[in-house]
Amino acid sequence: MDLKGNVVLVTGASRGIGAAIARAFAAEGACVIINYLKNEARARDVVEEIREHGGEAILYQADVRDEAQVGQMVQSAIDQYGQIDCLVNNALSHYTFNPKTRKTAWGISWEDYQSQLDGSLRGSYIATQAVLPFMKEKGRGRIINMVTNLIDLPIVPYHDYTTAKAALWGFTKNLARDLGHFGITVNAVAPGLTYPTDSSRETQEDVREMIVKLTPLKRLAQPDDIAGVVLFLASDWGRFVTGQCIRVDGGLV
Amino acid sequence: MSGVSEVLSMYRVPREVSITECHEENIETEQGSFTLKYPVLSPEIVVDAARKAQNARDVYLAHLPLMEVVEKIDRAIQKWLDPDYPLRRWAEALLPILTGYHSDIIRLELKRYMRNFRKKELLRFLDEEFDHPGMLDGFRPRKSGGMSRAYGPHMIFHVFSGNVPGVQVWSLIMGLLVKSAALGKTSLAEPLMPVLFSMSLAEIDERLAESIVILPWKGGEVELEAKAMEACEALIVYGSDETVEAYRHRVPIEKRFLSYGHKISLAMVGKEALTADRYEDTLHRLAADIAIYDQQSCLAPQMVYVESGGVITPKDFSQLLACELERYEKKWPRSALSHEEAMAIHKMRNQAVFAAINGADVNVYMSEMNTAWTVIFHRKADFSGSPLNRTIHVFAVDDLETAAETLTRFRRYLQSCGLAVGPERLFSLSERLGTCGLNRICAIGEMNRAKPGWHHDGRFNLLDLVRFVDIERTAEMLAEQYDPDVE
Repeated sequence: MDLKGNVVLVTGASRGIGAAIARAFAAEGACVIINYLKNEARARDVVEEIREHGGEAILYQADVRDEAQVGQMVQSAIDQYGQIDCLVNNALSHYTFNPKTRKTAWGISWEDYQSQLDGSLRGSYIATQAVLPFMKEKGRGRIINMVTNLIDLPIVPYHDYTTAKAALWGFTKNLARDLGHFGITVNAVAPGLTYPTDSSRETQEDVREMIVKLTPLKRLAQPDDIAGVVLFLASDWGRFVTGQCIRVDGGLV
Repeated sequence: MSGVSEVLSMYRVPREVSITECHEENIETEQGSFTLKYPVLSPEIVVDAARKAQNARDVYLAHLPLMEVVEKIDRAIQKWLDPDYPLRRWAEALLPILTGYHSDIIRLELKRYMRNFRKKELLRFLDEEFDHPGMLDGFRPRKSGGMSRAYGPHMIFHVFSGNVPGVQVWSLIMGLLVKSAALGKTSLAEPLMPVLFSMSLAEIDERLAESIVILPWKGGEVELEAKAMEACEALIVYGSDETVEAYRHRVPIEKRFLSYGHKISLAMVGKEALTADRYEDTLHRLAADIAIYDQQSCLAPQMVYVESGGVITPKDFSQLLACELERYEKKWPRSALSHEEAMAIHKMRNQAVFAAINGADVNVYMSEMNTAWTVIFHRKADFSGSPLNRTIHVFAVDDLETAAETLTRFRRYLQSCGLAVGPERLFSLSERLGTCGLNRICAIGEMNRAKPGWHHDGRFNLLDLVRFVDIERTAEMLAEQYDPDVE
């Protein structure tokens, strides 16, 4: 897969799936902008690891919920590389995935929903608007939004998180319709429970085992499994796919 | 490849004219191999063929009732509207190779074009220009008194261009409607369709087809052209300004001379065509006007004025048009270019990129690695011709009415305007465009398809060819007095 010379912005790339996606892009020759919010040390580790392997990456701190910060990040990427070929909307507002302590339908507040909508949907909206002029000018571009297979099967009902991701999936399909004319594809990738990541650490063994039992491929997803599909959508092989959601969960849903 | 092997003469002469020497070209097509025979011509052959065609016309075509001529042309056209008609299949196999246009474009546009000449459309051509088409058969009364009859030339020398396949058929049919013999000089770029069409006429009526001569030669063969000019009563020249001028200087003053030289067409898109529900269709239509026959027709747009105020800006429009042209390239790749044509595109691109670097309000969108398509976006309205072959200028304008006024300077060249505006502006804008010198307003998406009865370059199709003979009322009255039975 040749992504040499492609410029890819991955939001929330300091750890977990975001970091795996960033590393995978770099390994295929892309220049990666590693965006992070708080965890500078981890983000710096990702950049250094990429550079050690001969890849190219830069670090950029920005809150995706802040238009000005995202605007500056994108402008800085343009100043450095002249273009952005691919945006991966991976960041979300902080969330703890714990089946035991999750909020129930009768215990959750609107603020919880708002917080997740701000991170997943509004963050993706802001980053998309920021890169759009450059992709339109090039007549091509790839936008990949990270959602979840919980939309199809809320095996653990994380109301606020999953609802916000479902909104992001709606955003994806609508965006694909309008942006296709400009040669820009917009797709979603829906991972199943991915282990190990910081987010999934608190998902107990029994839940993990239950999911594995129901999964045709008989294991949980790993971050690299997710990255492979993202790379496919960003690559020339994925050029005629848009408005799609690809589930990467070993066949669970 | 199937095993079919055809030998096809790329000329047509009356039966008694002998052409002894030809050079041959072999072409492999999806339908099999063709040997195309090009005649080695001499002035004597041109003279002999022209004389015999004119004789055939004088003794037969000149006396055929107009409606019979119409019927016969219609029957030939009906053959072409049958997808299995062998000559149509030959055309569909050979034209993509001879011209370089994609076979789908040829297949679609050729049949659409031929539909322009069904009987009902031929009647439209005639009714459009003659109060009494019967004037071409004999004297007919006039509203102002007296009688008139229209005579077509004994022979018309058609100098065809080769840019768009089949376009020569229009000129041949107009000549037949005024009962003229034809001497058609084809371009080596597209010598096929006049020959095939005259073969179809011969299948319907061999005597009629005897009035038609089709000969291919490279422009500038002065001796051949001199003989052709001597033989004809009228000339119709299609081509570049240079071609037209080359003939105009040589044609004897008593001959009728009609020319269709270099013209520029453009498109105008109003903000009402750029609403969220309409813009896709608007873009698709304009891209088709650019992609069909690679703007080689003078009917195709070389620039488009796009109004601000829609949901997509003129710059968005340029970006979207670029993407649409890229998709056309995947669907119907542009024809291969000569070195000169490609250089013209590179030169224009370089100038635009250089201007952009120097601060001009210009953005350049172009296909990578080749010259397949180019869109040059200008924030400031201007006028700029295109090197063609899917290269277009987009000018942002605040309102189309103001832009229209700036066109007056170029009236000498203006021809068609593809228009996408609402009904309340159609007439007021057309008035302005007409004043500026444009002579055809059509829908975008239809720019390459002039309709039967249109005023070609603002003129007539048939009336310009004929001469009228009037019997004045006084002659009628006086004749009455000499009636032996007069009171």
